[in-house]
Amino acid sequence: MLSSLLFLLLNAVITCVAASTGYHERLFLRPLPQGSLLASFNFVSNETQEAFEQQNFRYFPRSFGQILQHAHARELHLRFSVGRWDAEDWGERPWNGAREGGTGVELWAWVEADNEDEAFARWLTLTNALSGLFCASMNFIDATKTIRPVMAFAPEGPHGNVANLHLLHGTLPHEVVCTENLTPFLKLLPCKGKAGISSLLDGHKLFDASFQTMAIDVRPVCDGAGTDCSVEMEQTVDMVLNVARSKRPQNNPIPRPLPIDQLECDTSKPYNSGDSCYPLKKSTEPSWTLEEVFGRPLKGACPLTEETGDAAHTACIQTEPERTVNANTTGEYTEMKVGSDTIRCYKLPTGSDFDLVLPEQQLTTGLVRPSPPLFAARSINGHGQERGSTQSIIRNPSTTNTVEFVYLESLPWFMKPYLHTLRARLDTTSASPIKETYYRPAIDRKRGTHLELLMTIPPNSTLTLTYDFEKAILRYTEYPPDANRGFDAAPAVIRVLSPNTGDRKGMYIRTTSLLLPLPTPDFSMPYNVIILTSTVMALGFGNIFNLLVRRFVGADEVPVGAGGLKGLVMGKVGRLRALVGM
Amino acid sequence: MALLSSILALRRHPALIKLPPYLSAFCIVVGIAWLLILPLNEYSRRTYVSENALLPGQVHTYFTGSEHDVFRAYRHEVHALIDRPVEERSKALESIFLEQNLKVSTQKYNYTVSNTTIASENVYAILQGPRADATEALVLIGAWKNMDDEVNNSGVALVLTLARYFKRWSLWSKDIIFLISADSTIGPQAWVDAYHNEHNEEEVESLKIKSGALQGAVAIDYPAGPWGHRYDKLHIVYDGVNGQLPNLDLFNTAVAIADGQMGIQCVIQRMFNHDDTYKERLMTMLRGMISQGLGHATGPHSSFIPYHVDAITLSTVGDGWHDEMTLGRTVESLFRSLNNLLEHLHQSFFFYLLLQSKRFVSIGTYLPSAMLIAVNFSITALALWVKSGKPAEGEEKIASTNPEPSKPATDDKSNSTSPATDTKSPPATEIVKLGDAVTIVPQSSTTTLERPLLLPALLVLTSHAIGLVPLYYFNTHPSTHLRALHLTAANASSILPFVFAWTGYYAPDTPIPTQTFTLIQCFSLLGLGLGLAALATLNFSLSIIIGVLSAPLSFVRRTESNALNILQLGLLAVLNPVMVAQWSSHYLGADLAEVLRLAAVGWRVWGLWTQVVVWVVWFPAWVVGGTIVAGGMF
Repeated sequence: MLSSLLFLLLNAVITCVAASTGYHERLFLRPLPQGSLLASFNFVSNETQEAFEQQNFRYFPRSFGQILQHAHARELHLRFSVGRWDAEDWGERPWNGAREGGTGVELWAWVEADNEDEAFARWLTLTNALSGLFCASMNFIDATKTIRPVMAFAPEGPHGNVANLHLLHGTLPHEVVCTENLTPFLKLLPCKGKAGISSLLDGHKLFDASFQTMAIDVRPVCDGAGTDCSVEMEQTVDMVLNVARSKRPQNNPIPRPLPIDQLECDTSKPYNSGDSCYPLKKSTEPSWTLEEVFGRPLKGACPLTEETGDAAHTACIQTEPERTVNANTTGEYTEMKVGSDTIRCYKLPTGSDFDLVLPEQQLTTGLVRPSPPLFAARSINGHGQERGSTQSIIRNPSTTNTVEFVYLESLPWFMKPYLHTLRARLDTTSASPIKETYYRPAIDRKRGTHLELLMTIPPNSTLTLTYDFEKAILRYTEYPPDANRGFDAAPAVIRVLSPNTGDRKGMYIRTTSLLLPLPTPDFSMPYNVIILTSTVMALGFGNIFNLLVRRFVGADEVPVGAGGLKGLVMGKVGRLRALVGM
Repeated sequence: MALLSSILALRRHPALIKLPPYLSAFCIVVGIAWLLILPLNEYSRRTYVSENALLPGQVHTYFTGSEHDVFRAYRHEVHALIDRPVEERSKALESIFLEQNLKVSTQKYNYTVSNTTIASENVYAILQGPRADATEALVLIGAWKNMDDEVNNSGVALVLTLARYFKRWSLWSKDIIFLISADSTIGPQAWVDAYHNEHNEEEVESLKIKSGALQGAVAIDYPAGPWGHRYDKLHIVYDGVNGQLPNLDLFNTAVAIADGQMGIQCVIQRMFNHDDTYKERLMTMLRGMISQGLGHATGPHSSFIPYHVDAITLSTVGDGWHDEMTLGRTVESLFRSLNNLLEHLHQSFFFYLLLQSKRFVSIGTYLPSAMLIAVNFSITALALWVKSGKPAEGEEKIASTNPEPSKPATDDKSNSTSPATDTKSPPATEIVKLGDAVTIVPQSSTTTLERPLLLPALLVLTSHAIGLVPLYYFNTHPSTHLRALHLTAANASSILPFVFAWTGYYAPDTPIPTQTFTLIQCFSLLGLGLGLAALATLNFSLSIIIGVLSAPLSFVRRTESNALNILQLGLLAVLNPVMVAQWSSHYLGADLAEVLRLAAVGWRVWGLWTQVVVWVVWFPAWVVGGTIVAGGMF
């Protein structure tokens, strides 16, 4: 429990840092069980409101700022995510899930507009512009993928004119996040991945991570009086690396079986011999260095960060106090210990490489991992082409706290839920956990289903939420090229209302996305039909065209010109004359 | 116009009336001959991989070296668990998976079939694909006991070793589920039912952890003991429950990898020494058809196929020089191929007959044979319908100046009320004008008798309803008494036609006319023909097996000749579905009691439909046929 408290403290430190002006960055490393390592990168750029409006950008990227101004977006949250957070093993999510998105791309923004139509038009402008900026298919977030959440999201910054603000939310669960999205992300940083902690971000390692999310959050920040406002852009990268996998060299990434003499065998087994080896599970913490794990060295501090104070200590690691952590650099660095020595922060040297070296070590103590407020899993049940059902299992592990949360589903229009089949059951009581329901049904090809439920779970209970749905039959042009893969349904978003974290970011959990198999026609059949029809058309057209445009002349009617070169020239001249009409 | 009128005139041609039985027989002969030519090179094709993404055998496999030592250790571990109670076994398997950092769970099930309790526990572990988003999953199954009830010692050990090996790779785009089911047919069924939430929670425990949509499943059957056993060939089992088959691409990928990459010869349908002659191909095809027709589960993979999850079992056979690591590498390569899949397997065939591991016949080529056999019943049914509308004395010579008293076609009593009562008088005639031509024809050839349909239709429906009785008893009776039940059913079903015929003869005040019998047979054959034609598109083999076995039903007629009656009844007695079960299980070397027990298990657990077809389609048709013939005895 101690370390949990400390982790919250660290969050507070980062929040304090974020409130000041200028540019700050921080890397936060946390070894997780089973040889995993969480790396949270956080970059905050601030610009005063006046400077932002006059397009006088210093730390805030111009390209991004202009898009926001053009689309009248007052607050924006953009997420690129791959993989899933394993809450069972890894515990609480980084930033309480507030800087995390569902699989694929997720975008929500508060757009200033006089009415809903104008807001939607500006939203389309925003998605199209961001699509170009981040090389992602965000332009495919159209009306069918856009919802207007009611309870699930709250603005993080203070906004003056709330009546004119419209919240729009869109997801692309099938979008594959890759290097082409990382490069523009890094370009928005003042040090552009050349120095500072962002120099560790390498596409190969980032996209080999077990869980990875990139977030951009823009929000207004005001001081206590609400007068001195600035625009804050926070860029976050969270990744969980498997240390053993990341340490494999780039040129030899294949996990070949270990040579027999390197295999640790359980010698207590009766059959243990030269040819049988029961592998022992390693009880020691694996050794790693930053350069091994990230594939490239940390190239010293970003010169734009502050020189002194807490904010200057940009690389932090949270680990057991007994764990040996050696800094390896030729430059000058300082170490700062906080939170009963469980967190060590380093001020990076400028201009020289910096590395953290952790040797293999047998630990006697362990840090307590704070448990998440809820565990959530969602799956599709049933089979067949016509109907199915969705089942979400949400568990409250706490023995004391009742958890109140909002459950948001944004379903594509071709997945048509039957709301009368919606059942929410608790295993401990028979009382309905649903307190409020907001439902906006889908319209075919125009908009998707939007369902929000306000629910509570008593301590130590499991909530099972099920509903049936019908699968629509699409027109054959509406299928994507990989129609037989199925269609992705966006992850459900769970916002925990109480117990709350106290800050404005909130606490979020997202389920995994779903793969929905729809009835698919045999596409080879239309293909054959198209080819056959085209052939018949071509034959018919060719013949008729031939008859219409060709002049048929009897063999004896052909004008007999002079042969040889002269005849050829005369013929050409004659044709030319005919052409100009002389 | 002239053509139309000549066709109309042809309609009454006596040859046309006589044609249907020959046409029916012709359909049956062609249907069977069609089947027999399928193994020829001209009518079958070489298999090919249709889905480009699979790329079978294109990857280098690394499952060697120290993995072999680990495998041997796991094999000892598994061997030590053989005589342990189920809970202890599950605990031990769970702990091995946990050491490999996988998510582990167990699932209990408890079915009561034929008053016998089948209870055990499945253990499964999920390897979450490092970059996967839990939308798709593959399954690797190692059933604790294989189909021959041997402990799958090396197979389970191989699954454990592969789980540890797969965990290290970062390339998995799908989750991989490792399932150690308690047996080969019921455990996987319980698991896959629960995975799709189609289970009864009183019998089968819900799964605690799940992954995404299943894309494919591969089962390993390698029952070698702790000291290993080198095998000769891989036997690929592919039949699913109710005769459904996996996508041919999966099978082809397995053959391409095992044969092409690893050099292990592949065999199918227990034809372990296939020398690719016509006879061997035909035998393979017929074995495949029998297996498909029975629709029973043939391995751990079978339960997955009804859920549209393509699945196969790799089983080792013979003594040879291939070892467990080769099998492991085959599975590794197969999973690498399946991992490449961008879409659910859909490119290749779902309906096929395999002649050997690299030759197949596709549905377009083989379907006509079953359809022809089904059509033969429809043709006879139509002929009987026409016949039922014609007066019995249709063949009277109109020109005969001194008509003899006609010999009634049936016995006197039924004749007395039949429509042809007044045959003593000269046959009525009428004048027909067709253009300029004028002719005198017997009235009987232009008039159509009224057909009372209610009674025949009711009787046919009743016969189908009667089929539900044995269906119920065979699926609920205690397994120890199934043999006795079968004996009772055999006796009862043999007597049933006589009881019906007797009732029809004596019970009503006026005996049932011949026309009604004709109509009953007509409806029954029509139902059989349509039923089998529809069935041919779902389970071709079952349709053709029932079609051939009930082919005589098209030709049995009510006769006066006792010798002919006894011959017909004798043939029908042999083809009684209950008796077919008896002699076919004897001929195929199976124990009848075990067959009946498995059928009950199939009905209760696997969702088997074969019994329904037998009792509600085939048996009623047989009863009606028997009744028609037995009617001649009275």
